[in-house]
Amino acid sequence: MSETIIDVGERHIREINQDIQAACVRGEKVRVVNTLSRHNLGIGLPANADVSFEGSVGYYCGGLNTGARVQIERNAGWAVGEGMDKGHITVGGYAGMSVGAAMISGTIHVKGDTGPRCGVAMKGGNIVVEGKIGYQSGFMAHAGKIIALGGAGESCADALWQGEVWVAGEIDSLGVDVNVVEPTAEEVAEVDAILDPLGLVDSSRNWRKMVSGQRLWFFESRDASAWLMI
Amino acid sequence: MCGIAGRILGAPGRVGQDLVSLMEAQEHRGADSTGFAIYGSIRDEGYVLRGMGFDKAKVDADLADFTNVLRDHGSDLLSDPTIIRGAEGHYCFRMEIKDPADLAAWTHDADDLSHRIEVQSCGRSLEIIKDTGSAAEVADKHGVREMIGTHGLGHARLATESSVLPNASHPFWARPFSDTAIVHNGQITDYYTQRAKLKRQGYRFLTENDSELIAVWVSDQMKAGLTMQQALTKSVTSIDGVFTFMIATPDGIGFAKDRFAMKPLVVIDQNGDLAAATEEQAVRRVFSDECDVINYDGPSLTGIWGVGNRSLAA
Repeated sequence: MSETIIDVGERHIREINQDIQAACVRGEKVRVVNTLSRHNLGIGLPANADVSFEGSVGYYCGGLNTGARVQIERNAGWAVGEGMDKGHITVGGYAGMSVGAAMISGTIHVKGDTGPRCGVAMKGGNIVVEGKIGYQSGFMAHAGKIIALGGAGESCADALWQGEVWVAGEIDSLGVDVNVVEPTAEEVAEVDAILDPLGLVDSSRNWRKMVSGQRLWFFESRDASAWLMI
Repeated sequence: MCGIAGRILGAPGRVGQDLVSLMEAQEHRGADSTGFAIYGSIRDEGYVLRGMGFDKAKVDADLADFTNVLRDHGSDLLSDPTIIRGAEGHYCFRMEIKDPADLAAWTHDADDLSHRIEVQSCGRSLEIIKDTGSAAEVADKHGVREMIGTHGLGHARLATESSVLPNASHPFWARPFSDTAIVHNGQITDYYTQRAKLKRQGYRFLTENDSELIAVWVSDQMKAGLTMQQALTKSVTSIDGVFTFMIATPDGIGFAKDRFAMKPLVVIDQNGDLAAATEEQAVRRVFSDECDVINYDGPSLTGIWGVGNRSLAA
């Protein structure tokens, strides 16, 4: 597979994304350089594409991915892989707020920590974070798994819907309407199957699995004061 | 959604140029108005005033009345004011004045004219330049790129809570505390309650912009004896709303973020040579090489960056 180098610099983002798409359609591997942390790089990438970003990227990188393999060398800004349908995104460093927001399927692998609300409103897929997930991670996640190997910040799994948050390590505090449950051996095996291709299986982990307490499913406005955290 | 920026230079230099770059990069966050707070060399005495008059046909009468108020307070103009006129109805001014006997008392009386002519900054080193228009438009009109200083703030406004007016843009001066300015990204939800409390203490607010409150609130806390760090920490639990704000004094820049971690702040700090902004791509305009970036993404964060490693903790 030949590799195409695409330079970002000060060029218009639409032009850069058209260049990336055209190279993917030609079946070329793409390396995007001089990214300058700019936003909206590699949106709506096609299936089987292979795109890597040198350095750090801005907001929404790899959003609406339809099956590409995306590699970000260093940090990603807000909402990396937002709304992605399929594919695999790797962030080498830190990923900002709302990793994988509303994603439907696929995998996002963050090697560092994440900002707040990792996996917000996700509808499926897996987010694996080697570091710590930020404040209010898993907020209103509908389905899918957020797996954090380095702990979680405050208000973890706040208002979770039907997704799951798995944490190994310290949890600063829990959000509202969260149940912490003991995972079964079968469930741990399912998580290990997600971690295995990433080389991250460690049988000595002490997992905590968080699921919805299901009380917010039947929210009534007259009970609002019971939920106010402020 | 607004864009904010802060810049501290390792040594005095073209801080105006850098702040314009930081704001040009964030123009998509709000381009109805742009403003800058720039800290130049510090005078031993005398103040620089920046502000605007709302009817450019009446500049002579405005200045005559304004000068009379100065003289009533033992002050006067030290030189002819600089007047900046554009196509709009308002004009902007820069003037240097002798120290009034009591700065707060003079500010109070000068503000009686604020429906005609409004002081927008007063400082030994601070100058606030703000206007409607994009970063490049405001920079060209007011010569911001050429301004020399140690540090400063920038703001691109997308008005959500009050009208687009030249005087409702940021930064805001902490009236009547000299040399203090803020920029804010967010909305203050208990603005009217907080403003009413401060008004009862005698503070005056000249716009309907919620951000005007923050500068005065923090300065009032410091007047009551808190350090800037203590005041910033207290602001997180005392002011309701979503915010990331930066407050500058001649000594440096402080910041605070709300309890919900709604608004971003990204910083590159290379031994005190520092750029802070809402978006990482903006700070990369100043530091284009790949380098360590600090994401202040969490809730309830506060901090202070000193100029030339001067401490603000005392």
